[in-house]
Amino acid sequence: MVKFFYGLLVAITMSTCVQAKVYEYGEAVDSSQLVDISRVLERADTYLDKPVTVRGTIISVCEKRGCWMELSSDAKFERLRIKVRDGDMVFPVSAKGSQAIAKGQLHVINLDLSQTKRYLAMLAKRKHEDFEPDSVTEALSIYQLIPTGVKILD
Amino acid sequence: MTKNININLRVHRKKHGSNWYRINRNLHRDIGYLCIGFTLVFAISGIAVNHIRDWNPNYSIVKKTAIEPKLIHIDNEDEIIDLMLTSFKIINSVKANYWASEHEFKVFLTDGSNLNANLTNGEIELELITERKLLKNINSLHLNEAKAAWVIFSDAYAIMLIFLAISALFMVKGKHSPWGRKGGLVLLGFAIPLFFMFLS
Repeated sequence: MVKFFYGLLVAITMSTCVQAKVYEYGEAVDSSQLVDISRVLERADTYLDKPVTVRGTIISVCEKRGCWMELSSDAKFERLRIKVRDGDMVFPVSAKGSQAIAKGQLHVINLDLSQTKRYLAMLAKRKHEDFEPDSVTEALSIYQLIPTGVKILD
Repeated sequence: MTKNININLRVHRKKHGSNWYRINRNLHRDIGYLCIGFTLVFAISGIAVNHIRDWNPNYSIVKKTAIEPKLIHIDNEDEIIDLMLTSFKIINSVKANYWASEHEFKVFLTDGSNLNANLTNGEIELELITERKLLKNINSLHLNEAKAAWVIFSDAYAIMLIFLAISALFMVKGKHSPWGRKGGLVLLGFAIPLFFMFLS
């Protein structure tokens, strides 16, 4: 009985020793379907809640949970956040500067004016910059991609 | 003759009973040994991820700053990168760079670290990232980043824990048995989670 038990354990161990690839998450991505991030953000309403595949350099990653990362756009100063539910995919902090392809749906978060002020104040604080809340007069919409598949290339 | 049969039956019952008891103890012991590694993985990473707001259990991130006044007057990207690297005597090769804004430039290094330059005040921040290898690996198991294969083992571990809990009720006879005064500890083990369930 005990021998059978240990034998079964070894068999299960051997059969499940295939490790998932470290930097591929979820569904396979198709690099022939790429759309420029600048185009996605420029025509966000067209791409909203539809599948889209983008590519960019990883410029920041959630340091504690790896639950989001930002990809640089082909347009200067632009970026797109790739956001997953905690634990669905865990992006490594050490992947900053690597290229990544993400496939998923574009979502929008519409902030009201007070939320926009708080959001911009938080960004300014993070960058150690001064922020004047009264200078904000328009509410922001934040776009992010909820991925179904991500591949980190190098 | 009848007396002999009665004695044999009593011996048989006694032997049968103690076998059951012995099997339970042996299984509890062996499965307990098997669970030591699993328990340490889940317990250590459990503490680590419980306090994720207070510290980063996966990476050590050290930030250093330097001021380089020459940065304010340079436009050339390559010169900016050279200046940023020499400020911290970095010999790593550059993986990528990014203009976050007109005055904010980022450089990513091959070892995963990065440099941020503020071109308005010449401040450069170096972010050194080091993986906490052991903790990161056991945390990834706890949070099931290994996915399918690990699910089998974590399910098996959960079943073994259920067995250990139930078999523990039949490990000890007499006054230290959980069916006697020590039963208070068993009840306490149920009461604490129930209390928190009630609170939430």
